[in-house]
Amino acid sequence: MNFWNVSRKLPMLLATSALLLGIPAAATAYASSATTGTGWIRLAHLSPNTPAVDVYLYSFGNSSAMIVLHHVAYGTVSPYESVPAGDYSVAMRAAGASATSQPVLSTSVTIATGHAYTVAGLGPESGLRLQVLEDKLTTAPGQAEVRVIQASLKQQVVTVTLGSTVLASDLKFASVSDYQPVSPGTQSVTVSSSGGDAHSSVTLAVGTVHTLVVLDGASGLEVVNLEDASGMGKPPLGGVTTGFGGTAPHGPGSPVPWLAAIAAGCMLALTGGLRLRRNRQLHAGV
Amino acid sequence: MPTRRPAAALALAAGLVVIAGGTAGLLLTRHSTPAMRPVAAGVSALPAPTGSIVAPPQSAAPRPVAAPVSLAIPLIGVQTQLITLGLTSAGELQVPSSTSVAGWYTGSPRPGAIGPAVIVGHIDSLTGPGVFYRLPELRPGDKVYVKRADGTLVEFRVTSVQTYLKDRFPTEDVYGPVPDPELRLITCGGAFDAATGHYLSNIVVYATAVS
Repeated sequence: MNFWNVSRKLPMLLATSALLLGIPAAATAYASSATTGTGWIRLAHLSPNTPAVDVYLYSFGNSSAMIVLHHVAYGTVSPYESVPAGDYSVAMRAAGASATSQPVLSTSVTIATGHAYTVAGLGPESGLRLQVLEDKLTTAPGQAEVRVIQASLKQQVVTVTLGSTVLASDLKFASVSDYQPVSPGTQSVTVSSSGGDAHSSVTLAVGTVHTLVVLDGASGLEVVNLEDASGMGKPPLGGVTTGFGGTAPHGPGSPVPWLAAIAAGCMLALTGGLRLRRNRQLHAGV
Repeated sequence: MPTRRPAAALALAAGLVVIAGGTAGLLLTRHSTPAMRPVAAGVSALPAPTGSIVAPPQSAAPRPVAAPVSLAIPLIGVQTQLITLGLTSAGELQVPSSTSVAGWYTGSPRPGAIGPAVIVGHIDSLTGPGVFYRLPELRPGDKVYVKRADGTLVEFRVTSVQTYLKDRFPTEDVYGPVPDPELRLITCGGAFDAATGHYLSNIVVYATAVS
């Protein structure tokens, strides 16, 4: 066999080997979102002195909106929407404005498979911007994760502590701290500012990721606890054993009894046939 | 010896009959018995359950959800109570002791809360179909309902149905964190290993809560 023959046959050999080895397509592992090629996005209005807005999400290059959130007021954060990975644009219009009117603000966001994003209107109305934040999904084993968004215009600089852990020190208005791992459990949250402190408590379950948003409330600072993601504290190991085979297909039975029967039949027929033949010869000989 | 001629002829005839029978038996049993397959579910076998559907809040405060009590998948005729499941001492997921009920893993989020809620059921018993026998028939878009202790209902829509070899089970992908309320329905599937008495694969149905 020359080289040409080998190289021509190689792909077929490989394909055959793959079949024989039983490499199934399903053996490739896919994340839940990877099986569908999706990521997540949520939209937020965190600009204290900006009136309510309508928020539009467009798949890039498509003029009809994929998602429209009407009358989104300060402090509102939408649930996550699962969307196909790709490029999108987010536009904000004054609440009730025509869908075809010029947006007040817009930005683009690239959504990667299995990743989550928050697109938030941040800053004062005069300097409003749409900021794309990448949200964390995973935690270290046995931990929770927290970050802080500072959206209080009245108290422009805050320090946020969780129990005795400082989550964000001197965080300026319209800025966002990095996530940091913390021990799970229910703990007190203190927001300190030059205008006084605010206290609340949050419960952070193991394996969950949170964003604490500092807002201007009706009477002082408020802290809103957003759950960004949740896994489980103790994910099970491996798959499950959930079948006993009562409905499984059965393989072909053993051919041995049938082959034995055929052999026995052959013997019987042969014996009978030979006996008949000998009888005939004897008869002819008489 | 004329008296022996009928006996010899009989032996020949009987031998031929046995050969024919043996050959027929051999040919007929060369084909595998196919597994019982249910008729395609064109119509809903069960009506969709009723109850107030609580949409995930669009406000910032996450609302606590009640524990799950039952599961309904009308398209494939599933209507079952949900028992609670933990982990074995080896860290594997417990399975229901009955093949006719499904169970929720209490270490996973409650269905409707953020994260992947895990529900497990048997595909069959030693003798016949189990509660999740028809799970592999589900397709993206199909509806799954979970009723909770406070009487509320959460509706999920199937996004994906996957088959994984058990020795390559993608733990992180099935049980890993997600930012929205999702569901994982898990049962057995694929080839059955008669030597060990276990199926070689798991079927995982991924679903997302309808907002």
